[in-house]
Amino acid sequence: MDVSQYLEIFIDETSEHLQTLSDCIMELEKEPENMDVINEIFRAAHSLKGMAGTMGFKRMQHLTHDMENVFQEVRSDKIKVNSAMIDLLFKCLDAIDGYLENVKASSDEGTEDNEIIIRELNDFIAAANGEQPAEKAGKKEAQPAAAAAEGSTGRKKYFDFDVDDADKEKLKTEEENGQHIYGMTVYIQKECLLKAARAFLVFKAVEEFGQILIYNPTSQEIEDEHFDCDFSFFMVSEEPFEKVFDAAKSVSEIEEVVGEEVKYETLAAKQEKAEAEAAATAAAAAAVVPETAVAAVEKTAVTPETPAAVLPKSPSSASSGGKKQTVAKPVTNRTVRVDIEKLDALMNQVSELIIAKNSLVSISETESGDFHNQSFHEQIEGLERITTSLHESVMKVRMVPIESVVNKFPRMIRDLARKLDKKMELYMTGEDTELDRTVVDQIGDPLQHLLRNSADHGLEDNDVRLEMGKPEVGSIFLKAFQEGNNVIIEVGDDGSGIDVDAVREKAIERGVITDEQAESMSQKEIINLLFLPSFSMAKKITDISGRGVGLDVVKSNIEALGGDVEVKTERGEGTTFTVRLPLTLAIIQALMVEIGEEKYAIAIGSISNIEDIPVKDIKYVEAQEVIHLRGKVIPLIRLNQVLDTEPKEEEPTSLTVVIVQKGDSQAGLVVDELMGQQEIVIKSLGKYINNNKIISGATILGDGEVALILDVNVLM
Amino acid sequence: MANNSLELIEKEIKQYIVVMVGSEQYGIDIRYIDNIVRMQKITRVPKAQYYFKGIISLRGEIIPVMSIRRKMNLDDDVFTNASRIIILKLEEKGSLGIIVDEVKEVVNLSEDEIEKASGKGNFINGIGKHENDLISLLEIHAIVEETF
Repeated sequence: MDVSQYLEIFIDETSEHLQTLSDCIMELEKEPENMDVINEIFRAAHSLKGMAGTMGFKRMQHLTHDMENVFQEVRSDKIKVNSAMIDLLFKCLDAIDGYLENVKASSDEGTEDNEIIIRELNDFIAAANGEQPAEKAGKKEAQPAAAAAEGSTGRKKYFDFDVDDADKEKLKTEEENGQHIYGMTVYIQKECLLKAARAFLVFKAVEEFGQILIYNPTSQEIEDEHFDCDFSFFMVSEEPFEKVFDAAKSVSEIEEVVGEEVKYETLAAKQEKAEAEAAATAAAAAAVVPETAVAAVEKTAVTPETPAAVLPKSPSSASSGGKKQTVAKPVTNRTVRVDIEKLDALMNQVSELIIAKNSLVSISETESGDFHNQSFHEQIEGLERITTSLHESVMKVRMVPIESVVNKFPRMIRDLARKLDKKMELYMTGEDTELDRTVVDQIGDPLQHLLRNSADHGLEDNDVRLEMGKPEVGSIFLKAFQEGNNVIIEVGDDGSGIDVDAVREKAIERGVITDEQAESMSQKEIINLLFLPSFSMAKKITDISGRGVGLDVVKSNIEALGGDVEVKTERGEGTTFTVRLPLTLAIIQALMVEIGEEKYAIAIGSISNIEDIPVKDIKYVEAQEVIHLRGKVIPLIRLNQVLDTEPKEEEPTSLTVVIVQKGDSQAGLVVDELMGQQEIVIKSLGKYINNNKIISGATILGDGEVALILDVNVLM
Repeated sequence: MANNSLELIEKEIKQYIVVMVGSEQYGIDIRYIDNIVRMQKITRVPKAQYYFKGIISLRGEIIPVMSIRRKMNLDDDVFTNASRIIILKLEEKGSLGIIVDEVKEVVNLSEDEIEKASGKGNFINGIGKHENDLISLLEIHAIVEETF
């Protein structure tokens, strides 16, 4: 058996627990007295420790163990939460995260011991316990005795099962060869997640000293986790019993190990009196008392320098603690983990199905002679419904809330606030907004960068804010919501806003633009210069932001995902970055239009309405064609000019205008003809053709023809 | 005979597909060729590089089609019944179609039948001699390379 098969689960769950810890510690800082939070932290830390131990990551286990000790003290009200402690705890989390990264990279935790953090943790506990050492020592002594008393009754399950004659013979021979026979029953903690792995570690530990001859349940059953929380075995060894016993005990997440040296006759006698179990157990205990040792190994307490603090004060508290843990056991969701590649394959197949369906639809529409049949049309409609809902289901499977990305931000802002010595608060809304998995995976870095920007450059120092009559604590916000076929994520602050003049000067100074260009540029154009490569506005270079690799990277990352980013800024009021991302990557509803002889698709999500505009209603503003529609002035874009198509005929008396929307701004696209709505599969144009991004892809129509998809966001 | 062919294998035979572009014969290394398809409707892509005719769909895939004539600054293509699109498969950038006037045959050229190109234009990496014909061997990577 091999623990590596659990590695993935370990990595996933550890990240989950780390996130819970981080969230809870943030909360704890706000409400140091909240018992629920403290308990939650304790549970997460405990599971973390257990899992690290299971996987044999000793250093990680050690660190989490000491961290858990601190929580234990908090829980029992010995330590008050203060900000130094919170800082230390965050340091721990970072260190654990470091281990986790190592594990991810190399399946090993690495060699960093993090001694400093461990020492600090222990100092904390020492400080808290300084007042009452005597009491503690007393309890410590009392406890093993009590545990021993409890443990020696009815816990020796190794006498409870039948040993067949062949095995008995083996034991007998071994004993005659001068080996000792040891019987042991190991109790694993109820909340232990990987019992088979535990058992494996126990076997591995004891087999260094001898050989296990009899298992109950069988070794196969143990490996398959077909056992409750205990298992028993008989082994032969030359080593003294204590050595073997200690080895078994040293495995973490073992609740208790019961064992003793067994003489062959005792065993044989036991087996004969198998029906009278209880009596037999008592007799056995009496027969071999001198060599009996029972130990209550509380949870994973393996490190000698972290003494009684975590040990339960009495056996009864141990059992009640155990109960609490069962309550906290995570409710298992009915989910499966699926490789994203399998989903991609499924998605591709759905795409093919939709193309096939589209061609059936177009056949039924055109060749009505042969197919003028009611039931044929009904079948096609049915097929259409099924493919659409199949597509929706597949898309939904791929959707994940952005929560998994944004929930690390509160912690980041807290750290930034300390580092920059500015008071700030992060407000997040819409964490449950869902996006395609591939987008979510890649949106973290750009968002993080924007937040850092807000914290570092956006917000003023606290005293400046007070002078300006603003609240001392700066606000940073992150809002996510859905708009049509897009998901919008706004990142902003209520800081000083972008100094447009400073940007202009800098741009001229760096030779990005000339004086004359600067004259004619609008404020918006100037601000967009910030997205050019190597244009950093940071007055001083900090390790937070301002290395000149900033917004241009953000922009290119977001564009790679098919999205775009915009800035709005108001001097003295703040800056907002608006990130727009496509909801789906593969299949959309689109309006098909004709321009010249060519067919184009426009995503339905970006269309607000369609109008017939008489040519005489076209007005001119700054030599640009506009229309005045319901109180709004909308610029017209002649698609035949943008796309270099042949104009269809003489200028008609009225134009078909598709009004498209991007955020607050609108534009009217002039098309020659409307063809109707269709579900289309987006295909990439490949890497050879570059065309200023007006065309975001192509799609295959029902009749096999290819139509291009217009990217409205680029046109506007 | 048997001995002869063995010797040829040792000399490394390369297979080329011979195509006509204008009045010249070109050879394309068969390892790069995925498919040869009849001329079909090519959808123009606005604002693309001028030597890209557009895109076609082939078994559900979108494939860009390049005019090799435009790329080599020859007269523009005239499509006939013999015109074909040769689909090349390149590892780095995916599939690409190139338009040729006619596909003639497959030839085997051994190393000593190939004369390395002598700096004449960078689209060709050698000249093959085959039954009194000369075949210009196309350097696929040069064709794919971006030119402005």
